[in-house]
Amino acid sequence: MNPLLADIPGVIPWIALPFFIGFSINLFPKLDRPLAVVVALSSLVYGAVQLLRPLPQTLELLGHFGVTLVIDSFSGALILTNGLVTLAVLLYCWQTGKSTFFYTQVVIIHGSVNAVFICADFISLYVALEVIGIAAFLLMTYPRSDRALWVGLRYLFVSNTAMLFYLVGALLVYQANHSFAFAGLGAAPPEAIALIILGLLTKGGVFISGLWLPLTHSESETPVSALLSGVVIKAGIFPLVRCALIVPEVGEILALLGMGTALLGVGYAIWETDTKRLLALSTVSQVGFMLAAPPVAGFYALTHGCSKAALFLIAGNLPSRQFAQLAQLPIPNVLRGGMAIAALSIAGLPGLGGFPAKALAMKDLLPWQATVLNIAAVGTAIAMAKFILIPFQPTPAPQPSRGLLLALVLLVGAIFAANGLGPDAYTAANGLKALGIIALGGLLYYFVVQRWSLNLPRVGERLEHLIGMMTLMLTALFWMVVT
Amino acid sequence: MSVLEAYIFATLLLGFFGIIFKKNLMMKIIAMDVMSTGVIAYYVLIAARGGFFTPIATGATPGPYADPVPQAVILTAIVIGFSIQALMLVGVMKLARNNPTLETDQIEINNTP
Repeated sequence: MNPLLADIPGVIPWIALPFFIGFSINLFPKLDRPLAVVVALSSLVYGAVQLLRPLPQTLELLGHFGVTLVIDSFSGALILTNGLVTLAVLLYCWQTGKSTFFYTQVVIIHGSVNAVFICADFISLYVALEVIGIAAFLLMTYPRSDRALWVGLRYLFVSNTAMLFYLVGALLVYQANHSFAFAGLGAAPPEAIALIILGLLTKGGVFISGLWLPLTHSESETPVSALLSGVVIKAGIFPLVRCALIVPEVGEILALLGMGTALLGVGYAIWETDTKRLLALSTVSQVGFMLAAPPVAGFYALTHGCSKAALFLIAGNLPSRQFAQLAQLPIPNVLRGGMAIAALSIAGLPGLGGFPAKALAMKDLLPWQATVLNIAAVGTAIAMAKFILIPFQPTPAPQPSRGLLLALVLLVGAIFAANGLGPDAYTAANGLKALGIIALGGLLYYFVVQRWSLNLPRVGERLEHLIGMMTLMLTALFWMVVT
Repeated sequence: MSVLEAYIFATLLLGFFGIIFKKNLMMKIIAMDVMSTGVIAYYVLIAARGGFFTPIATGATPGPYADPVPQAVILTAIVIGFSIQALMLVGVMKLARNNPTLETDQIEINNTP
């Protein structure tokens, strides 16, 4: 074996497997589901192994100009998330009669998300992100309805325009360093940093660049929403966090934007009356926590991915998407239980994976930053209370499908198991604070939010505004980088 | 060189504003193509900063070489851009059945909940 490859055993076969299987699935259409499960399991195992490995591994292919790969526990956490969410989605889809084409796209999007999580240069990242864009478009437009087509086209417009800005930024980094590696960002001119951050912010659904996300994630089919919100969105966040860890100045800007998006997302989410839109807006807010605390971002992404995927799968199987109607309709108890666990994990209840992630994320922040994120956490608790406090109806409800139950067992199991990764977060002070935040959120929901209704304008979500917003964001980013 | 750079940025910006201001969905896609042409030209220009000759190893050295790395990279980006373009056009073809004028505002109003 090549001595370089010996450093990271198995990386090449593992990263090539999804693409190999993805394209050959069409030759064996009867085996589409088992093959897709093999891919998801391979990532599950690989991610778990990398998560427990102490030292980061670096691999440069083809020398200085070539592809750089870096794998550490941060990548491991995200690869594990990818494996878990994909596996849950596959279990969910097992009996829904999806065509082979659907599984091809799931496997390819899985592979390119994995590629994002191990790459450390701007061009590999670009290629992986664009493949994700194409595969996500094909998954969104799988129903072939006009609305699905429009949502998909809108997504491609926004993501492709952002990636063109990103490409210009990548070129400027190359011009300054004669290399596309992430590490060169520090020596790059301010316009390069602004352009690259803009592209990734848009891909990652952060702050006003992320206003495309609510419609896209809420109008996709249930399993696709779970996949997009659970793991694909992290493909935009991961490189930002990597850059923040390498270049501290970028980290400061991203922390600020993270707080902005945490507040913006919950500000919209608490007034939302549609379940899937609320979940999508909560994603916009949750990515802010990852950006604000780069060292814990992997762990946070893991717990958020599992909880959000579970919530999307459940929300798609409730009898209605409107909270007002749900109050009058029967909901199966098992869905109610799964919904409560996943929602409480996002709100940060001790005993569930979301608590140690949130506590560790808050630990190293400046006092004012912690205050902002605590406000966002109360907002999250209010938004999640909407799911937990749906009034109970005694009429019997139809049993949910077996695929959904299996997917939920996997995701809820992961939410509980994630506790083991952050045992040092369990202190009395942290526990009391988390309980206080949840109680405050619940009370605010019961006495204030539930009695009012507020229709926030959605004008910012129109295509022209989404694209035009990029100029504003670019100007703001440039100004932030220069000062 | 700086004149060329100015033209390239003009192309980029014209494409970008085309995406915003053109009303027809088809024209928006073409504007996006114009923008990506600007990006590709910029890569080629930066690659040619050091010299113009193709970096192929032959016996005689004709002069300073162009940098092959940005060119190799942009080749990938061209392929990706072209496939996305094709995909979007297929989407527009499908949408055109029920929205023959392809006015973006109208399509957006019809298809947003």
